[in-house]
Amino acid sequence: MTQKTKTLLERRYSMLGLLLIAPTVLVFCAVIVYPLVSAIYLSLFKIFTPTLEGTWVGLDNYRTLLAKGEFWTSLRTNLIWTVGTLTLQIIFGVGMALVLHQNIWFRSLARSLILFPYFISTVVAVLVWKWLFNDLYGILNHLMMSAGLIDWPLDYLGTMPNAMISVILVGAWKYFPFVVIAVLARLQTIPDHLYEAARIDGAGPIARFFDVTLPQLREVLVVIIMLRAIWDFKEFDLIFLLTGGGPVTSTQTLPLLVYKEAFALNQMGMASAYAVIMMLIMLVFMIIYIRRTRSEDS
Amino acid sequence: MKNSSMFGHRISRRGALKGMAATTAMASLPLPAMAQETTIRWWSPQAAPAQVDAYMAQIAAFEAANPGVKVVFETTSDEGYAPQLAAAFSSGEVPDIVTHLPSFAIQSYYANGLVEPFNDVIEAIGPDDYFDGANDVFRAADGNYVGTGIGNSAANMLWLRKDLMEEAEIADAPRTWDELRAACQAMQKGGIFGAPLPYGRNSMTTLIFVGVIHQAGGQIFDTDLNVALDTQATRDALEFYASMRELCPPGATNYSWGEAITAFVSGATATGIYTGRVLGNVNAQNPPIADSVTCVRYPTASTDIPAWTFNDFPSVFIPKQSSNIDVAEAFAASLFNPDGYIQQLHAAPGHVLPVLKSINENPQYQANEIIQKYPGEVELMAQAAAGGFNLGYESAAHQSNEKAGEVVGSGVIADMVQRVVLNGENADQVIGDTTKAIEDIMAG
Amino acid sequence: MLRKIAFNLFAWSIVLAVAFPLFWMLVTSVKPQFELFRRPPTMLPETFTLEHYWGLLTETKFLSYFWNSIILSTTTTVVVVAIATIGSYSLVRFRYRGRETLAFLVLFTYLLPSVVLILPLYLMLVNLGLSNTITSLVIAYTTFALPYALWLLRSFMAGIPEDLESAALVDGASRLGAFWDVILPQLLPGIISTALFTFILSWNEYLYALVLVNSDEARPLTTGVMNMLISSFNIEWSLLMAASVMMSVPLIIAFAFLQSYLTRGFGAGGVKG
Repeated sequence: MTQKTKTLLERRYSMLGLLLIAPTVLVFCAVIVYPLVSAIYLSLFKIFTPTLEGTWVGLDNYRTLLAKGEFWTSLRTNLIWTVGTLTLQIIFGVGMALVLHQNIWFRSLARSLILFPYFISTVVAVLVWKWLFNDLYGILNHLMMSAGLIDWPLDYLGTMPNAMISVILVGAWKYFPFVVIAVLARLQTIPDHLYEAARIDGAGPIARFFDVTLPQLREVLVVIIMLRAIWDFKEFDLIFLLTGGGPVTSTQTLPLLVYKEAFALNQMGMASAYAVIMMLIMLVFMIIYIRRTRSEDS
Repeated sequence: MKNSSMFGHRISRRGALKGMAATTAMASLPLPAMAQETTIRWWSPQAAPAQVDAYMAQIAAFEAANPGVKVVFETTSDEGYAPQLAAAFSSGEVPDIVTHLPSFAIQSYYANGLVEPFNDVIEAIGPDDYFDGANDVFRAADGNYVGTGIGNSAANMLWLRKDLMEEAEIADAPRTWDELRAACQAMQKGGIFGAPLPYGRNSMTTLIFVGVIHQAGGQIFDTDLNVALDTQATRDALEFYASMRELCPPGATNYSWGEAITAFVSGATATGIYTGRVLGNVNAQNPPIADSVTCVRYPTASTDIPAWTFNDFPSVFIPKQSSNIDVAEAFAASLFNPDGYIQQLHAAPGHVLPVLKSINENPQYQANEIIQKYPGEVELMAQAAAGGFNLGYESAAHQSNEKAGEVVGSGVIADMVQRVVLNGENADQVIGDTTKAIEDIMAG
Repeated sequence: MLRKIAFNLFAWSIVLAVAFPLFWMLVTSVKPQFELFRRPPTMLPETFTLEHYWGLLTETKFLSYFWNSIILSTTTTVVVVAIATIGSYSLVRFRYRGRETLAFLVLFTYLLPSVVLILPLYLMLVNLGLSNTITSLVIAYTTFALPYALWLLRSFMAGIPEDLESAALVDGASRLGAFWDVILPQLLPGIISTALFTFILSWNEYLYALVLVNSDEARPLTTGVMNMLISSFNIEWSLLMAASVMMSVPLIIAFAFLQSYLTRGFGAGGVKG
């Protein structure tokens, strides 16, 4: 189909192709491209949310936010959360995948149980964890106290660094199944003879993991890490519902900051500016990921 | 979405409203016959099941008197109403009537032209029936009323367990902070904590801590609404609040109203801080302690500082963008009909206290198990609430503060508490930052 | 042998630890309120009760939220999967200018944070007079569901051998006829996977629902449950846990009957290009 001269049929085919993609393009323009452009436009105004009255301020919002400590601390918090939860997800995820790759009893039941947290609603996950974390009646405090680990109930969500650790842990619990499934799929494609060869060479299980498994997983891990980094970076529900960004602003990531500006401080223009900046930061990750998948594609 | 013009001339209905005011009876106001179904939406954060039942009865009565009108009740929440209303106002999809929001919230909305003046409805209810000054907090700078009180509440009563006090050999209810701290220390044992003070990043912490500053003899704004936070009183208040931290459950760092009341009612804390709702909840959920609960006004730094009761002045108001203002006004007036109003108050006895003299004296209102079981407590709360204040109305001498809602909504005061108490930051620095943040909000 | 048992015990103790929160959710939901305040907590309920489930269904708006969620998620799924199926067919099997750019755009939007789109989208829906309706949420959900579905289906589509379609064309079928007779049946498992994922994504969505809807008429479960139960007068954990269990019902059904589709969608969406 690469010839310069196209047959009538081919031309008709590309017409048909365009026709079939038209609904997608229309929807994309209406609900994604247009809002995206207007987000940038809105960020140039000062807008009072309840009345939506705006005045043009140019780049003032950006100037203010870059000069404001809150942006930088939120960005830092955002990075701590992303790196923390992502690391745990990868470690637990790969570990669990290795375990599930073995022939354990009731393997498919085990796999369902592991998969479940990923699919339940964040609202449900947060409610359950808040109940586990409860200071007075929570089972976690009780178990830890009866095991003699602590003498006094812990405050999981209200003080630092507990709040950050808790959020990171819940995030890891909720999202590590993604890594498990992705890695498991890849593990199943590693040819057995590689392990055989390593065994003949006298490699133990740990050496086999580092010499055979890990190199084979490298590609898939890079993709998973990029994807999860992007998704964790923009996570809103989990943190918003667990801590609301508190104590003070210790767990306030950028998406929470956008929400707060827009609907608690009623500054929609400023909120848009935060959102745009946040997108620019994410663009770095996104470009790396997209490059990666496209080079694989071709 | 239907325009209000379809309900005939507003002028003539205003006349009808005034006519109603002459009579003391507050039967539902007649509305012109509806050409078609009209639905109005009613929001309130006060939505315990018993309260919703009472609202349903009031709705049924109104719907029966006004065929063609339908009222839909929807729940909002104390922590969530601000963003929800912000979204509602900006989308134009507003509720037609909102009840039980604190008075300062409406003042902010009114100042931005989002609220319909309420003068006619107050006329219809009968301005003389209100307790003296009950509507002062709702007067806007332009002289109009932005809403009215649907009740009073004394939100920072100190709740006590007489049984635990006896065990700890405490004879009298604490009057000062030192006494309170000592009492909490004496009662904190066996898995029971001293107090459930809120340290969360939420509006309860803000509202309670505004009270604590006043209990130290301070204020947030002076009478001309300049920020007056940088005082010794604020430092004392922070110091007291920090010293109470170890007497509160570990999770108090995230406490808001729900956690605070549940902690006291379930018996996990020896003292409580809440409105009279405690009475109903204790009797329903934890009867064994029901005979030993009592309340006093929250202690102050020293005996020469008078008690300061936080009354959020639960309100009724009508958003200007409502397309059925006439119906909403008639419905608002009907909420004060004795039968329905009393049932509504009885749904949480002692929690929302009546604003109308005729209701308070009404034998039907007094004939309630809980009100009769705790006459002293209910009377004390009624008095305390009537002399109560809030951030929009810090004292009778203060100007009305249109930005109070935003100051509360921004959470800067809760942030101040968290930074000093939880993070141990330097109080002077934090008070300076907070002063600046509030000044920014005032400058708007 | 001993080693095998030890390994199994080890594996299962991790699995159970991961699943413990879900177990605890179930246990709490059938405990009466007074047992909840017991210290230390009881591991298994001493008194078994379904009153919270009953209360949820009869005394609260849970069912109406549930119904809203069903309508919302189903509509979103149908609309999105329909558009994405023909869209992905076009992206994979046709050649025209801008095709590559489009594929790139799809991937880009797949990764876009919703918090960027939410403000303008909100304003747009307000101007269209659509705020507070289920329709507004369907439109909003398209922003993340469509790129997702396109991405999934694109990779499923690419897995169908081109020969099959060519053979049908040689036999004289029209392009659309071939699509209908050959591609669709082949694609069916992929479509089911995609539909399942789209449904679950919509079912669990929180942020858009929080911002775009503030009326009970259109409120879905996620915000409904939060709004209904996190109150200032009482926090009823057993009721919250019962609500959580019931919210997960569609998911449990999917898990029981369609698990292989879930795992399949996983691979296609995330990790393969």
